[in-house]
Amino acid sequence: MDTSLVMYIAAGGLLLIGSAGIVMSSHLVRIIFGIALLEAGANLLLLLASFREGATAPIIVDGHVPAIMADPVPQALVLTAIVIGVGILALALSLAIRVQRAYGTLDMREIRDRMAQEIADTASIDRPISSHAPLPVDVTSVPSPSEGKG
Amino acid sequence: MRRFTSALFLLGLGVLIAAIYQKMGFHASGSNVGQAINAVAADQLGAANFVTSVVLGYRGLDTLMELTILFTAATVVALVLGRRKPSAKRDPDAGFVLQAGADLFFPLLLIVGLYIILHGHLTPGGGFQGGVILAAAFFVPVLARPGTSIDHGWARLVEGLAGASFIFIGLLAMLEGKSFLTPPPGQGELGALFSAGTLPLLYIAVGLKVGAELAGLLAHLSETEAAE
Amino acid sequence: MNNLLLLIALPLITAFLLPILDRVSTMLARLAGPVVLFITSAIGFWLWMQLGGQTVAIQLGGFLPPLGITFYVDQLSLLFAVAINVGTLLLWPDDGEDRLRRSILSLILAASGSGLALSGDLFNIYVFYELVAVVSYGLVASKSIPGAYAATIRYLIISAFGAVLVLTGIALVYQATGTLNLAQLAQLAPDKLNNLQGLAAFVLMLIGFGVKAELFPVNTWVPEVYATAPTRVSGLLAGVVSKLALIVIVRLLVLVFHQPEAQTVMLVLGILGVVTGELAAWRARDFNRMLAYSSIGQLGIMFIAFAIPGQAGVFAGLAVALHHLIVKPALFLLAERWGGSLEKLAGAARTSPLGAALFIVLALSLIGVPPFPGFWAKLLVLVHLGEQAQSLYYLGGLVILAGAALEANYLFRVASSFYYPDNKQELPPAHRRRDITIASVLTAGLVASVFVLSPLAERLDGIATQASDVPRYIQTVNPAALPEAQP
Repeated sequence: MDTSLVMYIAAGGLLLIGSAGIVMSSHLVRIIFGIALLEAGANLLLLLASFREGATAPIIVDGHVPAIMADPVPQALVLTAIVIGVGILALALSLAIRVQRAYGTLDMREIRDRMAQEIADTASIDRPISSHAPLPVDVTSVPSPSEGKG
Repeated sequence: MRRFTSALFLLGLGVLIAAIYQKMGFHASGSNVGQAINAVAADQLGAANFVTSVVLGYRGLDTLMELTILFTAATVVALVLGRRKPSAKRDPDAGFVLQAGADLFFPLLLIVGLYIILHGHLTPGGGFQGGVILAAAFFVPVLARPGTSIDHGWARLVEGLAGASFIFIGLLAMLEGKSFLTPPPGQGELGALFSAGTLPLLYIAVGLKVGAELAGLLAHLSETEAAE
Repeated sequence: MNNLLLLIALPLITAFLLPILDRVSTMLARLAGPVVLFITSAIGFWLWMQLGGQTVAIQLGGFLPPLGITFYVDQLSLLFAVAINVGTLLLWPDDGEDRLRRSILSLILAASGSGLALSGDLFNIYVFYELVAVVSYGLVASKSIPGAYAATIRYLIISAFGAVLVLTGIALVYQATGTLNLAQLAQLAPDKLNNLQGLAAFVLMLIGFGVKAELFPVNTWVPEVYATAPTRVSGLLAGVVSKLALIVIVRLLVLVFHQPEAQTVMLVLGILGVVTGELAAWRARDFNRMLAYSSIGQLGIMFIAFAIPGQAGVFAGLAVALHHLIVKPALFLLAERWGGSLEKLAGAARTSPLGAALFIVLALSLIGVPPFPGFWAKLLVLVHLGEQAQSLYYLGGLVILAGAALEANYLFRVASSFYYPDNKQELPPAHRRRDITIASVLTAGLVASVFVLSPLAERLDGIATQASDVPRYIQTVNPAALPEAQP
């Protein structure tokens, strides 16, 4: 009971630290680390569901079937989840490389601003100071048609 | 403002987790699928390692999809990183210790990796774990001598064929009118190397695919030239 | 029915072998993708006709549930499996750089989308969902402009966070019930999930799956991604993939999480989605952005609809969802050449009169003007909202009406600018033949449905009734009872 309590706290802690990394940091690599920690925490939480008091691994050794076996299903699930996590981390890192090469920075705030600027440029509209500022929708600058809108 | 909302969000998350922990019993629920599987896995699949029978038998489709995720990730990394400019500077070779160590480790890692793959249905381990060790076996020499790199052509070939053979084995069952990925009858002696029907074959396919994929992925990442 | 697995196996094996095939013959590799998707769409459609009113459960590997993975085939899941295959086929990537890789990704998208629609196992759904996510990262980043990479990494961060939330939710569910099979969860839910743990699991999974379904507040990625991704990809994501994620949430809501609090959460988030989406669309000055925010608003309406308890909610939500499934990809096809500032679109009717006409028809249906299907869908939602006792549902109705008013304003602003007789400005380019053809086909289908509205509505009612029939789901899958707890 005590060991599993510590593990649960560890899983919850990892989830919190990972979330803190993503939410509060503005450096891309730190955010990616946060994702890695989050996944570790979630995997740990899932794995804890296979715990049984006094159990051994669910493997038959030398024809001897253990009396109490741990639950194999969460172990298989976590195996899958870890591999998925690895794939996503590799992807994230490759994107970070390209972003750094394109913008010369890994600061998320700057990246967001530059990206918004680029989108606005491609659409060739004047970008407001902040993407949250109200846009003055200027319909009067375009001549209105002779008949009213149906 | 952003810091404040972030801190508030994290506080809420912490409270939520604490509330859930308080309500959850700290023991796993008694009756569950794992228990049911433990009771019948040996008869139904003939593999001594019940986790393997879950991974390749009961949840074989999950494993296939997981392989696909790795394949897709490798494809996207190749798409995103593009080709290396031939004029780019290469990193210098590592020192003597790493080079000698890499040369010594290569055969050892190969053997350990293959052993873990082939015995996946008998002992803890299996295709994924063994595949990662195989990938390391091929990647450590690249770390030691950045000038040489693995042959991406071969890697993609092994990857594609291994993945296709996994699906092919699964489709074979459909020819007899059974569902996708049904294991064939006749499983041999429990605990022997040649047992558990197609499970070792599936794990070999998994191991080769994962090994080729990860090696290619890591090589691709390391080949990316540094920003000017 | 076992042949249904071909919808997953065939595109996947083609995707794995495509690089090798490409070395042998480029022509063959170019054709392989669309041909395979055509075959899978045909198989799916044929099986849909064969299914009739039945429901079938396919046991993967022959293992009886709950030990193995079950695929649940009813009209709803098969409909969406066919939709993703047809959608990917229609919106197949153009020839261009990295054609091979984008073809591989599209094939895997079709396979994983089909699996996501059909799967009846909670973790299997998660794995398919992650596969769809990884494929979408690749497709979104395929236009190699820096903005695309930035948008993709931001999308990835939110999506990975959502994935972790789903995984945590699955851990909670397995802890409480000991099973992952949806049918068995439906059986055990009243005892084991009707508590804080169950509600927490639902909220976690709602927000996790909601990333793809453009749920508030995890939809900040939407405008950026739709602005920087190839328009075909945006159409596919906004049109089909978002509905797949939504259907997963609906299945969970209908089968497993019956608490009224669950529906309240969905209702609130849906209302917020409509409000933020429509307001932002109204202020948008860029065609792609306008479509993206309008998408958020429409999905908000769907969340509100599905939050209505009972078969009525599923019926109303499905009506809006299927309508949007046709309208949005068509609009994004028009955005292929019209993407960019809205001011640049003045006079577009001159270079592309068909395009302008299509836009007007689609806009009318989206706003909800009779006799178009959009009107009936929204009416259905409003009527059922009015029947509810809780006042929050009335707020939902008001919000939908206000949203429709805003939609009318900004969509007609754009439409009327097409006909401005301004000779000085540079006119926007005409559409490509292929885009305008597919858009015309979709719009024609929309208009044609007006004439068969009654049988269509009946069919939809049948689909919704079948989808919300929980005892039938349990009976079809028929999971064996779990053994007694070990001391």
